[in-house]
Amino acid sequence: MSAIVDTRIDGRTEATVAAPATLQVSNVSKRYGAGETEVIAVNNVSLTVAPGEVVLIMGPSGSGKTTLLLMLGALLKPTTGTITLNGEVISALKENRLPNIRLRHFGFVFQDFNLLAALTAQENVAIVATLAGMKNGAARQKASTLLGELGLGQRLDFLPEKLSGGEKQRVALARALVNDPMLIFADEPTANLDSKTGHETMRLLQHIAKEQGRSVVIVSHDQRIKDIADRVLWLEDGQFKDMVEMPVDPVCAMPVERGKAIEAQWNGKPYYFCAQGCRDEFMTEPARFAAK
Amino acid sequence: MLQLAQRNLFQSKARLLISVGGVGLALMLMLALDAIFSGSEQQLTAYIDNAGADVFVAQSGVYNLHMSASWLPASVVTQVQAVAGVQAVSPIMYLTEMIEVRGERNAAYIIGLPPNATLGKPWRIATGVALPPKGGTVIDQGLAKKYGLNLGDTVKVLGLELKIVGLSEGTSSITNSIAFIAMSDFAQARSVLASTTSGAGMTGMSGSGSGGAAKLVSFVLVQVVPGQSPAAVASRIEAQVSGVTAQSKTAFAAGESKLVRDMAGDVLAIMNTIGFAVGLAVLALTVYIATFARRAEYGALKALGAGNGYLYGVVLTQALISVAMGLGLGLGFTLLLAFLLPLFSSNMALVVSGQSLLTTTLTALVIAILAAILPVIQIAGLDPATVIRRRVQ
Ligand SMILES: Nc1ncnc2c1ncn2[C@@H]1O[C@H](COP(=O)(O)OP(=O)(O)OP(=O)(O)O)[C@@H](O)[C@H]1O
Ligand SMILES: [Mg+2]
Repeated sequence: MSAIVDTRIDGRTEATVAAPATLQVSNVSKRYGAGETEVIAVNNVSLTVAPGEVVLIMGPSGSGKTTLLLMLGALLKPTTGTITLNGEVISALKENRLPNIRLRHFGFVFQDFNLLAALTAQENVAIVATLAGMKNGAARQKASTLLGELGLGQRLDFLPEKLSGGEKQRVALARALVNDPMLIFADEPTANLDSKTGHETMRLLQHIAKEQGRSVVIVSHDQRIKDIADRVLWLEDGQFKDMVEMPVDPVCAMPVERGKAIEAQWNGKPYYFCAQGCRDEFMTEPARFAAK
Repeated sequence: MLQLAQRNLFQSKARLLISVGGVGLALMLMLALDAIFSGSEQQLTAYIDNAGADVFVAQSGVYNLHMSASWLPASVVTQVQAVAGVQAVSPIMYLTEMIEVRGERNAAYIIGLPPNATLGKPWRIATGVALPPKGGTVIDQGLAKKYGLNLGDTVKVLGLELKIVGLSEGTSSITNSIAFIAMSDFAQARSVLASTTSGAGMTGMSGSGSGGAAKLVSFVLVQVVPGQSPAAVASRIEAQVSGVTAQSKTAFAAGESKLVRDMAGDVLAIMNTIGFAVGLAVLALTVYIATFARRAEYGALKALGAGNGYLYGVVLTQALISVAMGLGLGLGFTLLLAFLLPLFSSNMALVVSGQSLLTTTLTALVIAILAAILPVIQIAGLDPATVIRRRVQ
């Protein structure tokens, strides 16, 4: 038993698409290597990210998600195609102009947080503001305000090693926000977090998009992020597939990726589960769950 | 930039200790060795500096005191006295020889002084008298201490058993000390020397005959009339007295210093190179490792929009802070050594010269810059994309 799940969440997509576009990707491809070892990681992809929109990019491992995100974030040049930010073709810019674009217009959140271990939470955030030319005092002030908003007002002087994973990710979020970027990019932002803090982080990302009007582009395998996404894009073999057929976990009703899910056979039919727990539960009363 | 560099450095205390310690020791090697030679330089010219003479008159062609022999007919003394601008003259006899104490031989400058010497005598006396009478000697206090000698004990100088009548200060160097004896003893000893040693001590006396002993002196020390230029008086002496070389005290001392520097030059160059290499190796390695350990952080900073220049600045600042601390440490230890050494060894003096400090500081600066090169290359090649891909771990 499997269900067809439309990865577009209709109404919301329509609403945001109407607003003026900020980031536009046109026919972008990325080729690694040449000849025998050539890999076309992203193949002729087009995409528009609107202000305030949360876009989730999912797909099997090696499908080109990170490659695409790197190109969106001006960290990697496309082999062909263009990427424009508010009308400016950033994919054609000289290498030395890109740091400034990233500094002022983009914010990054990494799976490993990548905070500066020698600096306190506040300094980690403030240093990125000073990079953009803000005075030290003002930068510290802004950092402390931001961290306060993210619930870290009591952790300003903590070194990263003294912070929990969720706290670290919130510091990283504050760092990504400190220069008021239009876009936030996050690659697997919840992968190193437990489910509760992962959920918190998702809510914060949603808040950033909805309350502050910033676009958020997330690459993740985390199904729960779908809840906050305006649009879920499925990337496979370097190309977007509009629709995707996903089996649903018969216990918790969560859509799962076929390749990643835990599988079980019952009554000659395959069933897919998000976790071992669901599978075990299924096996206690397979008939009841299968009937759902 | 400064803040990040500083925090990065101080966060890893062990690494900081290694780099600062390593650089400090390397720089200390350079500073201390130079200080030892500078000290020797000062010691070597101590007699010239303190003899009280403005001009030194030597046998023609003799420009140095150390390891040289100068013999002049005694008649030169009155000739020099007659030159315009000369206020006072005092002859000395001089040989580089040995003081023998209980069968042990110690290198020494032996100075023979006339009974009424006004110039060239010991300038600081710890105990006893400054001018040795016949049969007596004034030796360096440090040498006396080394053998537990006191006034009234005897030592063997130029083959003569002489009684210690005074102990002088500031009259020893790393290689030798100075012993003052009566000129009459010196003259008498020359014949003893002639019969026991061959060559060296005798060369200057050849042709003077055994009976002419009292008629020879080594140097004529000259005090000029106040207001007269020693250099001018020296040239006047050379013009009016034949067979002599006359040099102002400054020129004579400079020649003496040059002797040390010529001898020390190669050693200093080698040690400086070693110090430079050791300091560079330690610092380059620690800065490189420190950068390597933080490459994920630098990659993240790059992704967030930090330019390469900023990151280079962080690494260079780290190197510079390490080197500055190392320099402070090296200098501190050298000064401590300079202070402690005289308390334990009387004949070694360390003098940290401004020149050496400048050279070492510049060397340290070069070390910092060179040490930062590899990490800078590393950062230049760091692709922020790798941070996101988690290839950096
Ligand atoms: N620097 C590179 N050189 C060569 N090939 C690369 C490079 N980076 C990625 N690839 C290849 O490009 C393809 C897409 O990689 P990418 O990292 O974008 O996938 P992904 O969807 O993010 O995968 P995952 O879900 O495992 O993170 C893969 O086949 C990968 O091996
Ligand atoms: Mg990826």
